[in-house]
Amino acid sequence: MSVRVDGLTAGYGNSPVLYEVAADLAAGRSCALIGRNGSGKTTLMRCINGILKPTKGTITVSGREIRSMKRDEIARLISLVPQGNYSPFQFSCLEIILMGGAARIKPWSAPCAGERRQALEICREVGIVELAERPFNSLSGGQKQLVMLARALHQNAPVMLLDEPNSHLDFPNQHMMMGLMRRFVRERGVTALITLHDPNLALQYCDDVVMLREGRVVAAGPTAEILDDVHLQEVLGPGILMERTVSGGRVVVPRNM
Amino acid sequence: MKKSLIIFCLFAFGLALVMSLALGRYPIGPADLLGLAGSLLPGIAADAVPVEVRMVFWNIRVPRILLGIAVGSGLSIAGVVFQALFRNPLAAPDILGVTAGSGFGAALAIMFFTRMALGVQGLAFLFGVVAVSIAYFLANRSWDRSASVLVISGIVVSAVFQACVSILMYLADPYDQLAKIVFWIMGSFHAASWAKVQVTLPVVVVGSLLLTVFGWRLNVMTHNEEEALSLGVDVFRWRLFYLGISTLVVASSVAAVGNISWIGLIVPHIARYLVGTEHRRLIPVAAFIGGGFLLIMDTVARTVSVSEIPISIITSILGAPFLGYLVIHRGRKGALGVGAG
Repeated sequence: MSVRVDGLTAGYGNSPVLYEVAADLAAGRSCALIGRNGSGKTTLMRCINGILKPTKGTITVSGREIRSMKRDEIARLISLVPQGNYSPFQFSCLEIILMGGAARIKPWSAPCAGERRQALEICREVGIVELAERPFNSLSGGQKQLVMLARALHQNAPVMLLDEPNSHLDFPNQHMMMGLMRRFVRERGVTALITLHDPNLALQYCDDVVMLREGRVVAAGPTAEILDDVHLQEVLGPGILMERTVSGGRVVVPRNM
Repeated sequence: MKKSLIIFCLFAFGLALVMSLALGRYPIGPADLLGLAGSLLPGIAADAVPVEVRMVFWNIRVPRILLGIAVGSGLSIAGVVFQALFRNPLAAPDILGVTAGSGFGAALAIMFFTRMALGVQGLAFLFGVVAVSIAYFLANRSWDRSASVLVISGIVVSAVFQACVSILMYLADPYDQLAKIVFWIMGSFHAASWAKVQVTLPVVVVGSLLLTVFGWRLNVMTHNEEEALSLGVDVFRWRLFYLGISTLVVASSVAAVGNISWIGLIVPHIARYLVGTEHRRLIPVAAFIGGGFLLIMDTVARTVSVSEIPISIITSILGAPFLGYLVIHRGRKGALGVGAG
């Protein structure tokens, strides 16, 4: 399912953060959102998810405008993997994952046996079935993030937003998370938008990239074409360069910073 | 929850009920209790039981016990809901000013509307609801619609109503009205009656049922607003729903018996420790434990000394150390909802 952002201006109070942003997320592809802190990545995600109302412009999912939808309708189309994951109360991981079904469960009802089976199946797919009955707050940062991914998958929405999913993860877990994301994009045809701080992860795992600087789109398109020295330096700073590795791959490195 | 624990809880509740029926200024012996219990069966009269015992049993003891169970249950389920909505295991049902508002209503009635039938209860209920409504209205005027703004509004409203109560106490007749206001604020079941039971019990029962039936969504509401919204729950609409029902339950409870501290704070923790945080399980268990807990506290309050001790003193003396115990010994196991992270 495709997402189109057109002429989007949005912000908080009288301070705009995004200016005339336009971007297309093609169905069944992963797109990295790259920019420095404060460039408007999370604000753009909040607008796409219908949390923040834009002052100008439109966001459509498969032709339907987000602004005109109710919360449960949006949740059936878009799921979120948040960057923080803390629960003030002690839920089991399975209970947390089952919450992904909230949009399709009647307010006076609770998850049925079918929902539980589906949630356990997702646990198996993500590789966390042994964590299902464990208290969520007792897990490590990486495990918690996998539970958040499982919850988003249980939501079963065709579009998935991942807001800095690697921010609390160590190096191997970052790659595991991105690998899972890529797998679900390919196997389930999910459209994924991921905010990333490391352009190397975008290079390795994402089909497309949108580069933001001070609330404006600098470049957008296929990762292989867009991620080059010019755009990297314009968005992340003059010391960022793309270099060739011995094996012929590409890697983004900081120089003279 | 293990079967043995359920059996123990039911047995403890039954024992507390019998003790509460039997003990008091006018004790009722086992034979009379059996006679009175037998009279509930069709075709058996309670003629063998002296008339004054029957009077004490039906007109004093039973309404008092029913009111105690209703108020304990009501405050406990409201505590569960408020802690979930404010994502804070230390939130109490009076966080939005319902107790301060009710106190003002009661003081107003004690001073100016003494002849009104159920005047104290009626005005206490009315101003409890008014206080929470003002807090909600104030918070809605803010651009920030998070639960923390609502808490700040509640603190503001509580402070204003407490100041108003202080003004009324300053103006009250020190030989009559002042003592009545002070005793009302400290809470007591000594004025329990069938009239109060008829007003309070239905609100608590209907409120408990609604909150249990719609309880699963509270699980989602324990996450921050953005997460709950992205899961498809209209946080602001559902917050109003849960707050509305809980406020009616708390206001009707406080209006009937005055301020009762700690129950709404500690019982949710005990219940959570026993059955976890899943709210569809948690709410009925908290109602059951809260009812039993206050029943025991009230029995203690009216039996340990010659004159009755205000119930809040007992609940505070036992409740505060108990919460301290939970914090020190159980916190890391999740009794306070906070895990090892």
